[in-house]
Parts: sequence; structure tokens; C-alpha cells
Amino acid sequence: MPEEEYDALVIGAGVAGMEAAIDLGDMGFKVMLVEKEPTIGGKMLLLSKVFPTLDCASCISGTKTSTVSHHQNIRLLTYSNVDEIEKSKSGFRARIIEKPRYVDASLCTSCGDCEDACPIIVPNEFDFGLRGRKAIYIPFDTAVPKSAVLDLDNCIYCMQCERTCPADAIDFLQVPKVHTVNVKAIILAVGFKLFQAEKKKDYRYGEYRNVVNSMQMERIVSPTRPYNAVVRPSDGKEPQNIGYVLCTGSRDKTVGNPRCSQVCCMYSMKQAQLIMGSLPAADITLYYMDIRAYGKGFEEFYRQSRDMGVKFVRGKVAKVEQKVNTDLTVYYEDTEGSGGMKKADHDLLVLSVGLLPNTDIVKAFNGIKVELDEVGWIKVRDEGKSSVLTSADGVFAAGCTTGPKDIPDSVLEAGAAASQCAAYIIKKMGSPIEQ
Amino acid sequence: MSNEKRIGVYVCHCGGNISDYVDVNKVVEEIKKEEPDAVIVKDLMFDCADASQSEMIDDIKKQKLDRVVVAACSPKLHETTFRNMAKRAGLNPFMLYHVDIREQASWAHENNRMGATLKALAHVRAGIAYVKSAEPLEKIKAETTRSVLIIGGGIAGLKAAIDLSAMDVNVVLIERSSKLGGHVAELGEIYPYYTAGSEIVKNLVDELSGRGNVAIFTNATVVSYSGYLGKFEVKVQRETSEITLQVGSIIVATGFDTYKPYTGEYGYEKVRGVITISELARVLSTAAGDGSAELIYDGRKVRQIAFIYCVGSRQKPPEDGGHANQYCSRYCCNAATSEALTVHRKFKDIKIYHFYRDMRTYGRNELMYESAGRSGSIFIRFDEDHPPLVAEEGNRCKITFWSSLIENQPVDMYVDLVVLITGMVPSHNEELNRALSLPVGVDGFYKEVHPKLRPVETNVTGILICGTSQAPRDVRETLSSASAAAAKAASFVLKRELELDPFVAFVDPGLCEAHQECIKECPYGAIELIEESGKKMAHVNSAKCKGCGACVAVCPTGAMQLKGYTNAEIKSMIGGLAR
Amino acid sequence: MSNVNFEPKILVFSTNMISDPGIDLAGMSHIDYPPSTRILRLPCSSMVRPEFIIYAFESGFDAVFIAADGGDCPYLSDCSERTARNVQRAVDMMKEKGIDQSRLRMAGICSVCSDAFANGVKNLYDIVKGLGPVNGSKNA
Repeated sequence: MPEEEYDALVIGAGVAGMEAAIDLGDMGFKVMLVEKEPTIGGKMLLLSKVFPTLDCASCISGTKTSTVSHHQNIRLLTYSNVDEIEKSKSGFRARIIEKPRYVDASLCTSCGDCEDACPIIVPNEFDFGLRGRKAIYIPFDTAVPKSAVLDLDNCIYCMQCERTCPADAIDFLQVPKVHTVNVKAIILAVGFKLFQAEKKKDYRYGEYRNVVNSMQMERIVSPTRPYNAVVRPSDGKEPQNIGYVLCTGSRDKTVGNPRCSQVCCMYSMKQAQLIMGSLPAADITLYYMDIRAYGKGFEEFYRQSRDMGVKFVRGKVAKVEQKVNTDLTVYYEDTEGSGGMKKADHDLLVLSVGLLPNTDIVKAFNGIKVELDEVGWIKVRDEGKSSVLTSADGVFAAGCTTGPKDIPDSVLEAGAAASQCAAYIIKKMGSPIEQ
Repeated sequence: MSNEKRIGVYVCHCGGNISDYVDVNKVVEEIKKEEPDAVIVKDLMFDCADASQSEMIDDIKKQKLDRVVVAACSPKLHETTFRNMAKRAGLNPFMLYHVDIREQASWAHENNRMGATLKALAHVRAGIAYVKSAEPLEKIKAETTRSVLIIGGGIAGLKAAIDLSAMDVNVVLIERSSKLGGHVAELGEIYPYYTAGSEIVKNLVDELSGRGNVAIFTNATVVSYSGYLGKFEVKVQRETSEITLQVGSIIVATGFDTYKPYTGEYGYEKVRGVITISELARVLSTAAGDGSAELIYDGRKVRQIAFIYCVGSRQKPPEDGGHANQYCSRYCCNAATSEALTVHRKFKDIKIYHFYRDMRTYGRNELMYESAGRSGSIFIRFDEDHPPLVAEEGNRCKITFWSSLIENQPVDMYVDLVVLITGMVPSHNEELNRALSLPVGVDGFYKEVHPKLRPVETNVTGILICGTSQAPRDVRETLSSASAAAAKAASFVLKRELELDPFVAFVDPGLCEAHQECIKECPYGAIELIEESGKKMAHVNSAKCKGCGACVAVCPTGAMQLKGYTNAEIKSMIGGLAR
Repeated sequence: MSNVNFEPKILVFSTNMISDPGIDLAGMSHIDYPPSTRILRLPCSSMVRPEFIIYAFESGFDAVFIAADGGDCPYLSDCSERTARNVQRAVDMMKEKGIDQSRLRMAGICSVCSDAFANGVKNLYDIVKGLGPVNGSKNA
């Protein structure tokens, strides 16, 4: 395949990457936007409603996913990995490997007939395992591009999908496509990983079914929820007394993350408010250290949560035990009130997991040093100048690439990355319009 | 315009996804029967397939079709596909209408084939009715001036200027005071990078100086503006003269004011030794200290300090509904712990008691909090209903506090210095707000259109906000938001010509009776009253209109309409759907 | 007046970016709602003229459902309030014409609010089924 030329390469099509790509595209730059998942929108598209204005995440991201997929200056590659980046005369040369979907996305009409035909069920990663999917599947209803993808690792080659597909879109002969692109600058918008709650052994995540993580809870409270009801996993009972353990995997040296993840206080309060909407009789308790409602409109949201009756208990949860009826007993150190170790019962426990770096991309840089900080986020070169500069000239960072951030801050920083990137390209090559 | 219309209608099977539940043949036959203008009515296995698109292009060219209806899946998936197809065939893309008969018909009503078919038929009829009254639309082109006015010469304004100047955009930066740098210029070391505020400002000013495309005016204020995105005209008052600037976009970066405690608030201005964090910052920035020095303030040797947090922030809403600063000022917990670390680093044996509500050292700032705890800081939490009391006793400040850990009994302690950790308040810009009609939120800061979708935009397209004029922020966040505003401004002015969607409001002059309801309803100030050949009527500025259609609904005479969704088009569609 | 064979025709005003995708999702999820609904999409629900609503009744619709944007509208954050004011004017006009006001319904439908949409339409359908055809209520 011939080498392709773009002004900028944006890696990651979550909310930050999409915003940065749109900003650059609107200025007139040609952008290649690469996403490793089969759908764009990142984690935000999987959220229910988002704080502090409780707007619907799908409605907000929908505007951006649709702009990105139709923008005349943006070329979108999904299900693709950036394999290698090296210096070149114009800036950087990147090798991108587009994984085979085994479905021709230009023919697929997203009708779902293949899903019905496929006999294999595996846990759906986009529902964080709460629901199953088939070996051939459309990731979720609001996926963009809306095309099926075949997961060959789980496929048994029964060919039912191929026989069923009315558009003849299934193609078992697809092979990885290699794209070589030359770009002047790069924006990293690689997002974050969730803290794996299993590592906090005393909380028994993965062992007790009614201990879930906050991303699973996010799916349970969203309108496209797995069971179409707010129910707990062990027995489908409607939970009436839900506990939230804040700072799971954050502010915690024992798991190697001494920092605060910035978003967990707010998303936990948000989920609490949403649950109160679905289950008005439910009691909700947040076990917290400090409530960090620091952003615009956040403190007001915190007060509103208290006024709605969300219970805030200042204390650190030490351990969790399961009762015969799969209810849970939580032991916590009360750092307020009378103090000491106390216990409380809950029928569902949500671990508000923190955000961790997702920066494997640095390995793709060949002969270019993109430094990480002590926790593993991309290191900012000079914060007194701009928080989107990495240690490598011409490589910028947006959103959670450099550390946890809420959506409003991610969007702002994506704009900042676009600005710095545009200035860099113009300084090097001249304005996109004059060329 | 000739009355004869040549319409092509393409009904999709979607490989059975439509035709299994919708009787596609019946839809085609009915339309053929009742619609003489439909010169081509076809059903296709997949409308979106390349072969089908080629067939449509062929039909449009050979049969001289001037309107097309595609009945297929959701327009969200393929409206752009088909409009591009129309373009390739030489047909105005807005003469094509895409109706949904899959998501909203076949899939929705699988158990009722007749119902699904009738619904599909109705949707196709509506599409035909639409294209019959449709008119070709073109994208609106507007010239832009490649320059931006930045209001405010603090770090946000400076940063936006640097970015835009680097993007080859001409910048005019005006500052109301006599010097650049704002509050930050007066600060000592700033977390988390331990650079002096004055140093940060100096670096920004240095970066900006010597650039040929930047003009800086101090002692300058905005008088008024006119125009719209791409072509603003702003009158600016300088010391002795008024100048007029032509700019494509405007960035407001007017910053914040520090909260000034009222007399007696935690002993402020009444008890000796009660100061604010800004005053402490000034003391620390000039104090030399290597860890063994003594801190003397106001002639008093300081051994114990109390920090009282959330002064002027997180205020409880008064029961009478009066004003309170309910918001959190965001930077203060971090700034306070940072100042505490500086105290511990420079001076020996100083204990700092932090009276706080929630320690909001978010993100990496958590490490400062932790480090302060190891360096001689003690953290004591208080409840919003039981704030500590400050009084003068002997030569010291007496603090009375309640802590749940001491069973809520009042405890007295004595310190040499009390530092009130004061928050940010919106700066007073009444004249500017009036001149630019800037939107102010309930918290008194500028209000963005949407915190996630359009975080630096206001209702006037092209007028942008950033920095602490919008919300409390620290230096790093302020710089980011300034750059984000610069990016948005650049997207407006970098191109010589803006291309805007054609779906904007317009006035039917024959119907307009100048009731002005539309002018009141428009949130974007896009409509004005004009007089044309003696008749007063509404006029829409296309560059300001966003195409929401709110004006359409309130117009008493039906004169106000939206391109692409005219009253005639909508009514004919309702008629088509009702049959 | 009520007739077992009577199928109330419902006109739904949806919005391109928010409620129309929500209605699509009802179809994708195969959620059942009355097929006698017809859907007309606009940029924003605040654009629905009361005259459009009256025109719909005059054209033979038995009910009108406005699938408003809620707080997620990309054009106007307060479009629901604006839409509600227009709906109130429509209700006044309906009163004058003797059209039962329960034939008009407005609800915030987000882009994934498929259940809310289906339930809202079903509920309206049941009410109007009891009321009978619109032209039967006064002119018959």
C-alpha cells in the first residue's frame, strides 16, 4: 500500500482524541484518527449520565462520534494498532496495523442476523462481563462504526454467520492491513485503564458476586442496562441498601497508586443519584476519605446528593464478608463519629475504582523518547508552559494520557493539545490554508 | 420553476431486514399508483451498496431526476452516504431525503407486518412530500478576518495570545490595568512545579515579545462591539483615544478576584495575626530560609500557625435564598498544602494546624498533602455547622474548635498566626459584560454553552471564554483552557472563508408583521429588526444563527422559517404521514 | 365512542441528534410500541409550532407526541422549557377547537431512552383509544 500523508496523527478516539481531531480538522489540517477498539467513543460512550449536569453520555458523545465519522478532514481507522513510530523527514512515520474484522464494514448493515446465528456466547467486554455477546458481534447499540466484528479467538468456524449474512459481508479471508502514514505531529489520547479491583484482596471482588466495580455499576444504571432493571448479580434481587467504597485503588500505597483519581467521588455520587431515581426506596452509603467535589458545579452536586439522602460515612473499608443470602457485611474504620472499627450490612457493594495509566503506546516509539512519570502516565515536559507537552518534540498529550481527568477537563485539554499541535505544525510547515 | 417534478424513489430491502416485515413490493406499487411525479420507483436489495449507488447516479443523470427519496435504515447511518451520492450525480444533496423504514418500521414492528408496511409507506409518502416542496440549499460561506481580540492580560490571555500568534493569527491583547500578568505575577512559588508566579508570567511575556503579529494595549477597555463571527468590530477605549478593531473572534480572559474576608470573619482585621493566604504567599516569596530560619511576622515570632480552609467558598446557601459562594474554589487546598510545605522547608520547628472540611488535593496534589503531614502539619477536620472561632488572647490568637474525634467538645488552642485560605470570586466586569452581552452563571462566573460539548463558547458564536473568568482553576488548568479557546478561535479564523450549515432561519418578508417575538426568543442574538422600503421586519444574520428553529415556533404569522425545514415542507410531510 | 377497531394515529416529533436516535434504539432493541405512530424529525423540539400540532389533528392524527431533547440538546440547554411553552400554547388552541388536551403529550427522550419512548407512546395510545378518533370528539 502507498504511504499516506497527514498533518497529524491522533492516537485514541475517546472523547479527548475525538475533540482534538475535530479541532484540528476544523482548522483545516488533515488528521488520521486511530482507535484500537472496533468502535470509537472510548469509555465515555459506555457511561450512563455524566456529572455534574447529568447529561446523557451517549447524547453528548453521539454528537462527536457523528462529526468525527463524517468530517472531510478526518480519516478514521478503527480496530487498528499503532505498531511503530519513527522519525522521518516530515516529522514522523507511523506503521498502523488494521486488524481484520472478518466483516466488510462497507457492506455490513448492522442488522444483527449474524449475531442471532452464532452459537458461541462469551462475556461482553463492553458490558464489563455483565452480559454475554456472540463470537461475531456488534459491540453495542450506539457503536460507531456500526459494523459487526468477528472474534476469531472464540469462533468455531461453523460458518453460520457467513451463511446467514444477507449482505455477504462476512469474509474469513481478511488479513491485517498495514498502513504507513507520514505525519508532522502526533497527539496521544490513549485514555486510562481501570484499577483491577481483584488486587484489593480484602474487598473480594471477583469472588463475591454482589461486589461489583463502578464501571459495571455504570452499565447497570444506564438506560441500555444489561438486565433492563437495577438488579444485583447474585440473584437478580433489587438492591435496597447499596454501599460504595471510594478510593478503591487510589490514595493507596499498598496497591502502588498513592495519587487521587479525581473522578471517583463525583461518579459515585452521580450513580447514587441515578439509583435513587430507579429505586426510590434504596439506601445508599458512600464510604469516603474526603469528598473531592472541586470542579465547576461539583460542590453544588455534592450538596444536592446530601439533600437527596445519600449517606456519607467518613471511613476506610477494611474488609468485606458474605452472608448466606449473598448479602455483604462491611467492616470499616470510622474516622469520625465515635471512631473505631464498625460494621454495616449491604446487599450490593460497589467498588469505586481508580484510573491507571494506559501508556503501552510509548513502546511503539522507535528512537524517540516519550517519558513516563513515576506512576506510568505520560510525563508533562513543562507544566508552567502547557500541560499537553510530552518529552518528545512534536508529540502532544490530551485527556487522561497524562493523568486522571474528568470529561470537561479532558475536552479542554484536547483543545489545548490541538492548539499546541497546530502551532507546532504551522511553525514547521506553514499554515494549512496557504499550502 | 416548472411544476413538473421528476422524483426517484428507492426502497431498500436491507437483505430482508426490512423486507421480512415490510411488504416492500406493496410500498413500491402504492407509490407508483398514487404518485405521478415519481418517475422511478424501485426496490433494491441494498440501497447503500456501491452497485445500487451507481444505479441511482445513472438514473439521476439519464432520467433527469431532480429529487430523490431513499427509504432505508436510519439516516444517522447513511444520510451522508446518499447525499454524497447525489453530489456525485450532480444533484443538490439537499434535494434528497432519507426516510427510516428499518429502525422505525420493520424492526420496531416485527409482530405486525401490516402495521410496519403502512408505517413504511407513510414515511415514504412524507419523504416524497418533502422533496416536492424542497429547494436546493448551499452551504453558507462567510469571510473571516484573521485576527483575534483577547481581553485580559493575565496568564490566560497571554497564553491564548502566544498560541494564536504561533498559528499565524494576528492578535490584539488588551488589559484594563497598567501591567500584564494579573494575580499570578504577585504569587510566590506555585504548586506543583515550584516556579515563582512572576517567573511564569515573565516566561510567557518573553515568549510573546518580539512577535510581529501581536499588539498589546494596557489601560484599555472594551466600549462596545458589533458584527458577528468572522467580522466583529470592537471599539476599545485607550488612555486618551478610542480605537476600532476588526477581528474574527474574541476571547475573554478577565480572570478572578480573591475573596476578601469581611471584618471579623475568623477575626480578620480585628485580631492581630490573622492574614489571608495571598498575604502569606507574599511573605514567603520574599523570605529567605534554608530550614533553620525563624519566621517573624508583625514583630511576632511564629511557632504555631493555623490554616482555616474554605473561607469564602463552599458557603451554605442561606435559608432566605440570599447569595452565597456555594462553589468550591478548587485551587485552595492545593495552594495551602503547597504553602505549608514551603513554610516547613524554609523555617524550623513550625507546626501548622490545618482546619479543613474535605482535603481536595486531587490527582497528583495528593502527594503534597501526604508530604505536609510528614513535615509538621496536623490536619483537623471541621463541620460546616461548627467552624472554628478565632479570638485575641494575650499576645496570641486563640482558636476554639470542635472535632468529632474529641466527642464534639470545644477545644481551645493558641497560635501565633492564622492564615485564612480564601477562595476565588468572579471579577467585576459589569461594563464588559454589558458591552459583549456575556452570560453569567448563578455562581457569578461566565457560563459556557455546554461544559462538555462547547466548553469555551458563549451564546454569541465567535465570542469565547477561558481561564478563571469561567470557573476557579489553577495555573495549569488555566493555561489549558486558554489554549483550548485559542484552538477554537483558530478554527474560526484560520480559513479565509467559513462554511456553515445551510439550515438557518429566514424571514418571509410578505408574512412578517414585526411582532418581534422571534427576536425575544433567539438565544444567539441572530435576529434584528430592519426597515426595508418603509416596512419594518425581522432579519436573520445567518452567521449568528445556529439553526435550532426556536424562533419558528413563536412567530405569530409563520413568517419565520428554517431552511431545510420550512413550514410548507413540514406541513406537507405531516399530510404525507397522515394519509 | 370507543371502538375496538379504532387504531389511533400518533404523530411523533423527534429531534435529529437526540430523540430520533432514542426512537431508533427502540427499534434496534425490538421493543414493542404501536405501529400506527409516524415519526417526523426536526433539529430541536423547540421548533414545533403549535400550528403544526393543530395541523396534525386536522390532517387526521388522533394524538401528537413530542419527543423533546431534555437537557442534552446541542442547540439550547433550555429547549425543554421553550418547547413546554409552545405546547401550552398548543393546548390553548386545542381547547378552542374542542380537542381533548390529553391527546398531546411531551416527554424528554434521550438518545438511549428507548423504554421511555415506547412506554410514553403506548400510554398515549391507550388514552386516545378510549377517547376515539379526533374528529369524532366534536364534529361527529
